[in-house]
Amino acid sequence: MGFFDVITGRRKLKQPAPTDRVFAMSTAAVTLELELGLTSTGQAGIVFQPLATADFDGIVRDMEEVVRGTGDETGTTVKRQDDDFGYRWMVLSDPEFEDVVVGINAVSTALEAGGYGDRILCAVFAFRDEAAKPVYWIYNYKRGAFYPFVPSGGAQQRDNERELRLKAQIGTELPVEVELERWFPLWGIPI
Amino acid sequence: MPRPTSFGRDTGLQLRMTLTMFLLGLLYVGLVVTMFYVGVNGAMIAIIAGGLALFQLFGSDKLALRAMGAREVTPQEAPELHAMIERLCVQADLPKPKIAVANTQMPNAFAIGRSPKSATVCATTGIMDLLTPAELEGVMAHELTHVQNRDVLVMTLASFFATIAAYIMQFGLFFGGGHSGDDDDNPSILVLFAVSFFVYVISFFLMQALSRYREFSADRGAALITGRPSALASALVKISGGMQRIPAKDLRAQGELAAFYIFPPGAGKALGSLFSTHPPMEKRIAALGRLESQLQGNAT
Repeated sequence: MGFFDVITGRRKLKQPAPTDRVFAMSTAAVTLELELGLTSTGQAGIVFQPLATADFDGIVRDMEEVVRGTGDETGTTVKRQDDDFGYRWMVLSDPEFEDVVVGINAVSTALEAGGYGDRILCAVFAFRDEAAKPVYWIYNYKRGAFYPFVPSGGAQQRDNERELRLKAQIGTELPVEVELERWFPLWGIPI
Repeated sequence: MPRPTSFGRDTGLQLRMTLTMFLLGLLYVGLVVTMFYVGVNGAMIAIIAGGLALFQLFGSDKLALRAMGAREVTPQEAPELHAMIERLCVQADLPKPKIAVANTQMPNAFAIGRSPKSATVCATTGIMDLLTPAELEGVMAHELTHVQNRDVLVMTLASFFATIAAYIMQFGLFFGGGHSGDDDDNPSILVLFAVSFFVYVISFFLMQALSRYREFSADRGAALITGRPSALASALVKISGGMQRIPAKDLRAQGELAAFYIFPPGAGKALGSLFSTHPPMEKRIAALGRLESQLQGNAT
């Protein structure tokens, strides 16, 4: 935000990062599985703010149709879910991890094409470690970066040590969020 | 290419805000020129006022929180509030601020801190009881916009020379009478006092106007972040009702803090609109209504 924006209080929502860095997940998933013992659950979700307007409803409807249509070919199933905070989840499941990533990208592309790219919050990729505990990689669309999120059982507790270790282990395979204060937790992930 | 975003620009508001700041700047230049012209210890006054402004910027956070009886809360203590603000931060592309809760029935919220990284957002228990989650989200987005617009910094800087002018006036009141013997300096000193007085009075009104414009733009920013202008409007209706119902006992620490409240304490009193830091509620709700119809009108 520039100086003049601060002076005049001009506000604009940040649009998604330009490149489709979310695809880095397709290749990183192999490393995650082979070297870190994290297996994908075959599920991923994308979270956005549903606006209560006819235009937005229409675009979401079209988007769902497209994703379901391609899902019929690839075998991806799509589920829609609203959470307690008023955000909408599109949960995609497919044994073929690459198809999940493609599906997530299809959702975000459709929303962006409709002019609502700024309403997309993040995409969540669900993994399980050897002890079957959930490990998530969250992709922040506005920042164009991933970060790990490991809930550790208790109420709103997360395993920061594990997360930092994951960051070091994944190295340069994923664009990882540099600022730790932007590793926002996401509670109540439905996958 | 994606289409332009859901909301248009409010060029009028930005123009008014820029004009106000320009007038303030002009006024302050006049004051500084007069100080140089008179040649009095302007440097010393500037240092004192600068020091105070710095103190205000760096030290007032904790004081303000303490004055409100607010306490920082962990994610475990206030999980919903934390989770709500975290999501808004992702949406607004802000680092997460500290979150505090004040244990008072007065429904209100405010944000302090000179930069987004050092910001604290505070809500009272009253506002959390009163509002629905969507309304509270609107209020919190309003406060986050204050943080993003760096309103504390802007208002402190804007008031810098007004503070100097106030010191010169006080100085004049204390010592002006005593030195009537030295006739040489008196005319120019008198000019300085007159100018200071003028600057102080005019800058007061300009600052109030500026504060009102920042409120409008924070409302607008909140609507942008949440995509729900009407939720914030309904929160404002509820809060203003609550503010008038509950006696204004707990208001010792208003003053400068009042500019950063979501709704000013004591706003129910018939103050001239020139004197108030917040725009009247009807105008804020009307502005939010325009945003909502812009949003809906996007359907064409």
